[in-house]
Amino acid sequence: MLKNICVTQLNLLKSATSLQQQVRTTFVLKRKYEPLLHKTNEKPRRMRAKHFIYELVEDTLVKKRPNLEVVLKTFVEGVGDKGDVVSMKPHFVYNKLLLPGLATYKTPENMAKYAKTEAEKSSVQHSSAYAQRTVNMLESIVLAVIMNKDEPWVLEPWHIKASLRKAGFHCKEECITLPKERIEGPDLRKENKEFCCTITINKLEQAKLRCRIHHWSTDPSERLPYVLEHWKLPAEPLLDVGLPEAAATNESAKPV
Amino acid sequence: MLTLLSIRALAVRQPTGEALRCLHLTAVTEAARKGTREKARKKKVKVEVKKVGFIPHNQRDKKINVKRADKHVDDSWKQVPKDDVYVGRYYRWPVYTVAEAIQCHRETHHPSMYNVPNASLNVEIELNMQGEKATRFVDNFQRMAMIPHKFHHGEDRKIIVFTKENEEITKAREAGATLVGGVELIKDITNGELLLSDYQFIIAHPNILAELVALRGLMKRKFPNPKSETLGTNLAEMITKFSNGISYSATKDEYQQNFGLIKANVGTLDMDAQHLEENIRFLLQDVNTMRPKRDGRFITRVLLKSAPSSEQLKIDPFVYIPELYDKNVAKASKEARKEAETPEQQAAAAAAN
Repeated sequence: MLKNICVTQLNLLKSATSLQQQVRTTFVLKRKYEPLLHKTNEKPRRMRAKHFIYELVEDTLVKKRPNLEVVLKTFVEGVGDKGDVVSMKPHFVYNKLLLPGLATYKTPENMAKYAKTEAEKSSVQHSSAYAQRTVNMLESIVLAVIMNKDEPWVLEPWHIKASLRKAGFHCKEECITLPKERIEGPDLRKENKEFCCTITINKLEQAKLRCRIHHWSTDPSERLPYVLEHWKLPAEPLLDVGLPEAAATNESAKPV
Repeated sequence: MLTLLSIRALAVRQPTGEALRCLHLTAVTEAARKGTREKARKKKVKVEVKKVGFIPHNQRDKKINVKRADKHVDDSWKQVPKDDVYVGRYYRWPVYTVAEAIQCHRETHHPSMYNVPNASLNVEIELNMQGEKATRFVDNFQRMAMIPHKFHHGEDRKIIVFTKENEEITKAREAGATLVGGVELIKDITNGELLLSDYQFIIAHPNILAELVALRGLMKRKFPNPKSETLGTNLAEMITKFSNGISYSATKDEYQQNFGLIKANVGTLDMDAQHLEENIRFLLQDVNTMRPKRDGRFITRVLLKSAPSSEQLKIDPFVYIPELYDKNVAKASKEARKEAETPEQQAAAAAAN
């Protein structure tokens, strides 16, 4: 009697699982031994034990999930702009886009709801999904500008362009804005001194690029001694060289 | 009462235990087993484990247990850049035209930067050495590519030319042969007054072939033949080819048999860009003659390099050569070559007879 009451009470207190996890339990199997055919209008033969041996064809749990299509609600760096329909890996979409509320599932209603309005289109904030990443990377590096120790030179945008290309960044000459002041050389007082130039991406985003001048001689015996990991050491600014004009004016209006 | 019982039980059990113990200890069985075990022991070979002392990592055998990355780089899964400023590592390699690539190298070698405007321009040609079957590979090859615009390649190339006619002797001398001669030269060599090993290239006119056969044993693989274009009537052209041409060799990778690499110098940066492009075109066309008869690309990637800069700029080779194997074209060119060769060969055969 007592036992019965206990059971009922336990049943009453039992809670339902709140988290319903989807479980994929579909396995595609294949018979190892095919049963023999039976005669027409007769009962099928009795199956033997061996006919119940199966081989696994496919486990749906470990199958690669197809990409998910979502509509972006805002600009997401490295993904796309507002209203863009992007197709990406499901885990990335769930964790980085849907959970933070940056995107919704792709439906005609959502597409209409989050499409860019005319006003938003005219006030462009981002030129492309990856421009901000390029800005971040350009601002994080210290560019070594290798100039000659023996021949006279004046720093020009194509020097920066060639130095950037050696560092793995590709850009056009018209994207580079140098400081107003002429930087001339060779001048060993300018060795390892820092100055800034501005890189304009897609005529919109601006990145402040830190550059340091290093002198290099064709003759190996004339070269300056190598400083290990010089870009990690602090450097003095190049005297009487200010920020490039474009950077100084646009500093406040820089897109974040 | 209880204790008494237990003592009795002990007394009863004791003899049974002794009986059990001596059950299997008969001498007969032991002797029988002794022999068989001995045999088995003899059969067993002692495996001696040799102790190996510590080997520094840089001296260890590199062939074992090293997973090597595929040398054929494929970046087609990467994005194509859309921005005008981009980080190279996230995108496909930019493909330059030859003129652009040369301009890029000229920038880094400008007097205001590296100050080596006359640096040599090197071409690295990556090949897919797979033959007609997946398990067969193209052999390493060494060739000479004829180029229209000569430059100072810095090699010392000695050419010996065999011909009978006096006119051709003077012509060959003018073309730049180191030594030109006829039958008397062959005699010198057979007498041992002249060493053939001093000369890298041996060129001959078909009219002297009959006498030249005597030197076949000395020349071995260097013996003039029309296939390697060392035997022919147009001596001057052959001499210019061997004195000015680009000598290159394709080597297969030690660990990856289907990856071949050609490193060749095509000129200097201060040459005209168009001349450099022409040289590259002739080099690529010459490499393409070694293409195996299979589908797919033979030349996979072409890079332009120039020391001291470490930059390598990719160019598109398929502007100059057909990308894919075309059966009909190969057949036609082969026939054409055959037709051109037959008169020469006939002449050579006639001379030999």
